Amino acid sequence: MSSLKELAELVITGDIQKVKDATKQLLEAGEDPLRVINEGLIPGINEVGVRFKEGEMFVPEMMMSAQAMKAGVELAKEKIGGTDIPTAGKVVMGSVKGDLHDIGKNLVIMMLESSGFSIVDLGVDAPVEKFVQAVKEHKPQVVGMSALLTTTMPVMQEVIRALDKEGLRSKVKVVIGGAPVTQEYAEEIGADGYAPDAGTAVELCKQLLN
Amino acid sequence: MEYASKHGAGMAFRTLTPEQIREIHSASCRVLEEVGVVVHHDEAADLLKQAGAYTDAGGRIYIPSALVKRALESAPSRITLYNRLGEPALWLEKSNVYFGAGSDTLIYLDPFTGERRPWQSSDVATALRVVDALPNLDFVMSMGLLSDVDRRMINRTQYALMLKNSVKPQVVIAEDRGTVADIFEMAAAATGGTEALKHRPIFALYCEPTSPLQLPFESVDKLLLAAENRIPVNFACGAVAGASTPVTVAGTVVQANAEALCGLVVHQLKNPGAPFLYGYGDSPLDMGTMVAVYSVPEALLLQGCLCDLARYYSLPSWGYAGCSSSKAFDEQAVVEGTMFTLIGALQGCNLMHDVFYIESGRTGSLELLVLTDEVISRVRYMLGGVDTTPDYLAVEAIRRVGPGGNFLGDEHTARHFRESWRGNLSDFNNYDAWAAEGSRTMGARIREKLRDIMEAYRPVPLAPDAEREIDGILRRAEERLAG
Ligand code: B12
Repeated sequence: MSSLKELAELVITGDIQKVKDATKQLLEAGEDPLRVINEGLIPGINEVGVRFKEGEMFVPEMMMSAQAMKAGVELAKEKIGGTDIPTAGKVVMGSVKGDLHDIGKNLVIMMLESSGFSIVDLGVDAPVEKFVQAVKEHKPQVVGMSALLTTTMPVMQEVIRALDKEGLRSKVKVVIGGAPVTQEYAEEIGADGYAPDAGTAVELCKQLLN
Repeated sequence: MEYASKHGAGMAFRTLTPEQIREIHSASCRVLEEVGVVVHHDEAADLLKQAGAYTDAGGRIYIPSALVKRALESAPSRITLYNRLGEPALWLEKSNVYFGAGSDTLIYLDPFTGERRPWQSSDVATALRVVDALPNLDFVMSMGLLSDVDRRMINRTQYALMLKNSVKPQVVIAEDRGTVADIFEMAAAATGGTEALKHRPIFALYCEPTSPLQLPFESVDKLLLAAENRIPVNFACGAVAGASTPVTVAGTVVQANAEALCGLVVHQLKNPGAPFLYGYGDSPLDMGTMVAVYSVPEALLLQGCLCDLARYYSLPSWGYAGCSSSKAFDEQAVVEGTMFTLIGALQGCNLMHDVFYIESGRTGSLELLVLTDEVISRVRYMLGGVDTTPDYLAVEAIRRVGPGGNFLGDEHTARHFRESWRGNLSDFNNYDAWAAEGSRTMGARIREKLRDIMEAYRPVPLAPDAEREIDGILRRAEERLAG
């Protein structure tokens, strides 16, 4: 019978099957699903974040841990039934129209997910309307846009204008990133924040929602 | 099977064994046949279907190995690129090596002030003239993104600047078909018309798949246009190993090769015999910093594989040299740039670009460019190999000088010493002489050379009517795009 502490350890090792087994065991033994999440799975992934920052763990290991954590959370969710699990926030994210670069965007998404955010991924080449539609439909707290090309950067401003026009701008925080993007550009187009990398992007989103 | 590089006097280099080449080729063919590709271009998808590729319900296309084989047979094994004056300049075949700058960096690192700033058109013009002046750089690319022109006009304006500031052949990036068409027209204006240009291409076009295994509309559209007009073109995966391709070197080669071959198949179906450049590159994802890093040893190994494969396929090869992940023109930049330049030359990569890239392609350093010119000069000398004919074995000279003598006074030395390598930046003074001349470091000498070029060098100008025509093409494009 594993303890919550051991479950956290298993998340750190990134072994999906073992995390699933341990979560099941705990739940079957009558442990509160919310405690399993908040005192087992989440502390595990938080520790992974700390070790990544300190250079002891690397992105692929973090990904495995995040997947293991997610698998555990799924099992705990089933147990709770309809109750919504509180997430850190909902983020709509996409690479803007004309831009096919998605490696950075996907990394930001993975990092946000492992920090407890839920994500709506609009993929690449996402037109202005798609962002607007997604905001209407999913009611996120944050909209994230990625642009790696100088020629596609202006689309980010178009999205902000469109959100404004639809009366949605005040309902979301807008964050942007990608190679040519800078803090100054974010300010210029009226975004709420910019981050140079995925780690900072997570901190930025947390900060904006506080 | 010929696959190792061949340089002077029997010098050779290889990365793969023949068995490994066959393993990689077969694995890439399996990927095309079993995993398939997504083609976001109707004409290309139709070409593939009509040629016998299977399309599943989801639209994914699976390419039989026979199509690959046919494309490899029809593609030419060599390409000549001409300069703006209509002279043959680069012979892309076998192990011939040529070097050029890179495209579209975001930041210009001012060599004199160290300031990092967005490129202006005048900076790009200057940088192009520097490439034109340096004897060991063989072709130009766009160097920097222009911050002072309408975004939709960037690629066209860059091309006009290339034509005006250099006679060297070009490798071109263009966002779409319309841009390529305008570039083609400008090139034709400079070289005596479209038919002459098709016969004597002065530029090659750089196209990329979106890994993994996607053929985006714009890339394929340009690929087809290039095939029609016999513009030499590549279809080069820009891998970020660990993210867009497998983390292993072999895995990245297998996938990048599959993508290049897939581009080749489409290209040859459109116009069998049109010139195709085979190559790709990798900037692996650093798993600590999440940065796509240039010039790491894995990337150099990958290039060795692609060069061996290119010779196995009898296709001209495309790759990288002289680039770095460093944020400054510093010791790391020199180590990485020099390693890539030397190994690329040994690998016999035909067309190597990105000399002057630092910060993994986000910043351009003219200091690295000038330094690499000297590195290439050393490397080219080495590629000549060792002459072992009797006069060079020098038994007679050794006999003449004899035990305890001195070769300085012998006519053999006088006859041959001018063949030795001579640089023009490296310092061979003794300490006192060096100190007396101001103790100038390599960096200082590089900046002085840059200043000289910037002040004094004038490229061969375009004919006035060609220049007018090019400006007209730009003006019309601007009106069209504004309207
Ligand atoms: C890999 C790559 C490609 C791949 C993309 C594959 C893919 N599936 O994404 C391919 C080969 C397809 C490609 C194509 C092109 N590319 Co490209 N590419 C790159 C390269 C080498 C690396 C980008 C990368 O993935 N880095 C790794 C990731 C992890 O970093 P990142 O994207 O910067 O993301 C981080 C941060 O920026 C931030 N971030 C990113 N998004 C967001 C979003 C938010 C909300 C936040 C907060 C943060 C954030 O966090 C991320 C993680 O830390 C860069 C050069 C470079 N060193 O950046 C050029 C580069 C971006 N490409 C460039 C160019 C010009 C092109 C092409 C036009 C070239 C062509 N021949 O046509 C095409 C355009 C295609 C298109 N329409 O989009 C230029 C862009 C110049 C410009 N600003 O206009 C660059 C800078 C290279 C260069 N100097 O030429 N490219």
